[in-house]
Amino acid sequence: MTEKKQAALIVGGGVAGMQAALDIASQGFKVYLVERTPSIGGRMAQIDKTFPTLDCSACILTPKLSEVAHHKNITLLTYSEVGTVTGKSGDFRVRVRRKARFVKEDLCAGCGDCAAECPVEIPNEFDMNLGFRKAIYVGFPQATPNVYTVDKENCIDCGRCLKVCQRNAIDLEMKDKTMDLHVGAIIVATGFELFDVSQYPRLGYGHYANVIHAMEFERIINAAGPTHGHLVRLSDGKKPHSIGFIQCVGARDVQKGVPYCSRVCCMYSIKNAVMALEHYPDAEVWVYYADIRAFGKGFEEFYEMAKKRFGVKFVRGRVAEVMEGKNTGNLVVKVEDTESSKVRLIEHDMVVISPGVIPSEGMHTMATKMGIEQTDDGYVQIDHSFFGPILTKVPGVFVCGCADGPKDIPDSVSAGSAAAMKATIILSKGGV
Amino acid sequence: MNTEVSTSMKTEKEWEPRIIAYCCNWCSYAGADLAGTSRIQYPTNARIVRVNCTGRLSPEFVLAALNMGADGVLVSGCHPGDCHYTSGNLKARARWALMETAIEQAGVDPRRVRLQWASASEAQIFADGVKAIVEQVRELGPIRSEWK
Amino acid sequence: MSDAKEEPRIGVFVCHCGHNIAGTVNVAAVAEMARHLPHVAFATDEMFMCSDAGQTLIKEKIKELNLNRVVVASCSPRMHEPTFRRVVEEADVNRYLFDQVNLREHVSWCHSREPEKATEKAKDLVRMSVARAAKLEYLPIKSVDVIPKTLVVGGGIAGLRASLDIAERGFDVILVEKDSQLGGNVAKWTHLFPSDESGAQVIGPLIHDVKKHKRIKILVNSKVSEFDGYIGNFGVTIKNQSTGKAHRYEVGTVIVSTGFEPFKPVGYYGYGTSPDIVTLAELQEMEPGKQLLKSSDGKPVKKIVFIGCVGSREPGKKGHEHCSRHCCSATAKAAGDLRDRVDEALVLYQDIRTYGKGHEEFHRLARQKHVIYSKFPQDGHPEVEVKNGKIKLRWFDVLGGVELQFEPDLLVLASAMIPPVDMDETAKMFSLTRSGDGFFNPEHIKLAPLTTHTAGVMIAGAAQAAKNASESVIDASGAAAKAVGLMAQGKVEIESTVSHVLPDICSSCHTCVTACPYGAIAMDEEHDPPVAIVTEAKCKGCGTCAAACPSSAIVMYHSTDEQILTMVEAYLCATPGLQGGGSV
Repeated sequence: MTEKKQAALIVGGGVAGMQAALDIASQGFKVYLVERTPSIGGRMAQIDKTFPTLDCSACILTPKLSEVAHHKNITLLTYSEVGTVTGKSGDFRVRVRRKARFVKEDLCAGCGDCAAECPVEIPNEFDMNLGFRKAIYVGFPQATPNVYTVDKENCIDCGRCLKVCQRNAIDLEMKDKTMDLHVGAIIVATGFELFDVSQYPRLGYGHYANVIHAMEFERIINAAGPTHGHLVRLSDGKKPHSIGFIQCVGARDVQKGVPYCSRVCCMYSIKNAVMALEHYPDAEVWVYYADIRAFGKGFEEFYEMAKKRFGVKFVRGRVAEVMEGKNTGNLVVKVEDTESSKVRLIEHDMVVISPGVIPSEGMHTMATKMGIEQTDDGYVQIDHSFFGPILTKVPGVFVCGCADGPKDIPDSVSAGSAAAMKATIILSKGGV
Repeated sequence: MNTEVSTSMKTEKEWEPRIIAYCCNWCSYAGADLAGTSRIQYPTNARIVRVNCTGRLSPEFVLAALNMGADGVLVSGCHPGDCHYTSGNLKARARWALMETAIEQAGVDPRRVRLQWASASEAQIFADGVKAIVEQVRELGPIRSEWK
Repeated sequence: MSDAKEEPRIGVFVCHCGHNIAGTVNVAAVAEMARHLPHVAFATDEMFMCSDAGQTLIKEKIKELNLNRVVVASCSPRMHEPTFRRVVEEADVNRYLFDQVNLREHVSWCHSREPEKATEKAKDLVRMSVARAAKLEYLPIKSVDVIPKTLVVGGGIAGLRASLDIAERGFDVILVEKDSQLGGNVAKWTHLFPSDESGAQVIGPLIHDVKKHKRIKILVNSKVSEFDGYIGNFGVTIKNQSTGKAHRYEVGTVIVSTGFEPFKPVGYYGYGTSPDIVTLAELQEMEPGKQLLKSSDGKPVKKIVFIGCVGSREPGKKGHEHCSRHCCSATAKAAGDLRDRVDEALVLYQDIRTYGKGHEEFHRLARQKHVIYSKFPQDGHPEVEVKNGKIKLRWFDVLGGVELQFEPDLLVLASAMIPPVDMDETAKMFSLTRSGDGFFNPEHIKLAPLTTHTAGVMIAGAAQAAKNASESVIDASGAAAKAVGLMAQGKVEIESTVSHVLPDICSSCHTCVTACPYGAIAMDEEHDPPVAIVTEAKCKGCGTCAAACPSSAIVMYHSTDEQILTMVEAYLCATPGLQGGGSV
């Protein structure tokens, strides 16, 4: 037995990983939270509003970000990746690669003087590449830690940032570092990616400027986003008067290797449809769907509200094709309305595709490192639906959030807490 | 308390009802929050004062508001039986009758006050309640016409 | 320590919340107005007050300008009051000297079409808050020990899982179940999804482990009859329903996992008029024999029909508006399983909501096995007629555009998950609120699904909303983590917002003693003459006593008469120069 504090490693700083971190740390155990990108927050930070309450996503998330950042038992390792994992439950050795961010975390105050000076502008991944950032950047205003990062691929080494930084926090010679951790339990909370909707050429994404996908829509209607919250078309900056949302793209499609339901698309699209009408009450908003899956707490009620109070129109049918009109940038959606068995052509000036959810990039590498099994779909294989829905096949390694399958925010949060429970049972037994 | 200042600078034509809305934290204040998140639109006339429970409100709070120039007072709490503090709202309801008599005796139309129950999930009921009292008070005119 | 007598120096921070507030309210004008209010030493507007930058700004300004009160005009205090209280405290300002104005939920979002009037309202609300802030008083921060024991109410799959997790983590558990057996609904079911076990196979080992565990005390046939106290220190009386014996326990935390009840759909689709019309739950409880037999005449079932959304998804019908979440997948699984034993199987549905991992696969498998799915319209449900023991079914098939008829041997109604009959009793017992679906309200529907507004009381499983067994298990472990989090720390802070009797003014009339719903006020016999005295640990801060006291001898901390009325006055009797926007 040792008096040394037991520690857990959490991989992934989205809402599930953050919740797990907080629930472990609150019990007095140490937590290392490893996040691949420069900031924690995950997908939820990118979302504008959340269903079914239309809460502003950033608003409810930011206190969590700062709670995680300020917790004395949590060590944030952002812009870092898990290297090797050895050992067994209660006694894992993990090597973490801390990528050089070329800015010293302990010195940077997040003032932004460097970015103002930086001459390089590149598309911002956080804004789904619709907006721009500098080569030295923070992805979004509430980024946590509030520390800048140099994107060396695009940096031209002009050194102007070095000159303006009053704290001498920038070090363009910085090298990657490795860190060895000794932990009792590991939680995989690596989240999800969006299905690449350009795999459906018939829907026009990538060809027609006014066909966008849902995460792009989220950024466009977000006040901190590339259009400062003005809902406009990308082709000409005009307000859309008629918007069509296309459901089940990269979900429930055996042909594309995504046979499962993505769980969140129905609700996020209804929410986006409502938000569009919030922006422009006179607009016409249509949703093309296969089944409306409003199954969570308050979801069905929200769906009813969207229909009745906001007047969102729902058409049951898989969209066959999206065509672009000549010169107008407008789009025509061809769909069989299965309720009337009629093929309809409906014109919109903006089309929003709802991509399904797929396992996060690098899931396979991660799984291999940890020795955990994956499902045919590429998610983490859980041990058992009832006995161990957050256990993996490797003792001491747990999973939560979308790493084992699509989930909405409350289900991810709940799973984060559950994973924390399982991890702390191991940590409390000590033994390292 | 001063009734003089309450006859504000605004002229009769511009008169807008001024409503004090006492809401309990657990049901009606939350219901008002939900009205906001659900983007339900209702008149801007009410100013919410948050109290823990409608049981906190003695008749004096209503009378004082009217006395200071409120054209109407809304008290909104949890449904009877649903009080976060078991029974505070029942106390409020019991006091309500007394309070109505008191304001009537003071020469104020009791239609200027409204007691309603709106739970945390009843955003529409909350919004409708605000609308109802604003319309009612608009009909009755400014309070200063009544205080003798 | 801030001295309450010190001249108030208030900082006012008006939040844009991106476009959420600033898109409607002229936040700069609000801040400008605030700058000229009495006692205001500083006022500004800022993009996101809750962000690190916003929080740092508050702390910097407190230090720089020696602020001793802070007003943040942003979103609902129900969400962010704890955040900002922590922020001011980090800058050595007592948390009770903070006040929040709700410019988002109560102004910009509900008056988005009236920006000028919204701005006027925002100014009024800020003025009211500043007036209140000036009257706020320092209150001590109190913490109490947490009794390292959890009460788990309900011994279904969620309650069992939560109990076991807490016990394995090293804390004691009292598990109360009103039934004579543990296991809840899951124990009765024969076709669980998505794995192939029966309910008994799943619940059996769990019950075994729970019974074996030394740290878990199981009380079946029992109900909580009394509950009082506060986070970390609850007193609970548990009564055995058969013996009538009651016993009192002290616990630090509570998990309510009281589950659901399958809706008995009397009045729907002929339910109750024929023994061959059953609910999905009743089908699940039938003997899983080789052949499915009709209850009416014992003959084999050859044709089976399932109808979905029975008592669910009915807009405008209280308690039945929600989707019951589990039924589509449960139906797909049951129909697929039974298809091999019958000649025809039909599923009548509105939408197929097989959303979970592996659920779509059941749906697909059912279709591959030639289970026929037929969609009926929301406004035209199937009609059932029972004649001479025969069930006649007519409905409109939306996708084919035709009226269809069928005579099933067995009609299965996938009925809603509704709260148990004693839900109201449980809600009152633990001061929980219920949402439109009748289940318990979590503290926050997105980010705090397992905690409630009663500090120290968690909810898990179907007590929170309709959900399936696997999801309930996850919730249970999550709620266990919340309980353990409190117990592992050993101490928890409690609110200082309690009432206090001024002994010199008290007329010893006993009014407050009877008014207090918690029995927190008694007569202090040691005082001469005896006056009322509040046991702070029992006081929950409702303020009913303060309102009832005829002598105005009771001060309700943080909600004093003065603190409330000054807001009213600030709105109604503002000096002209400081009035709201003015309706020009």
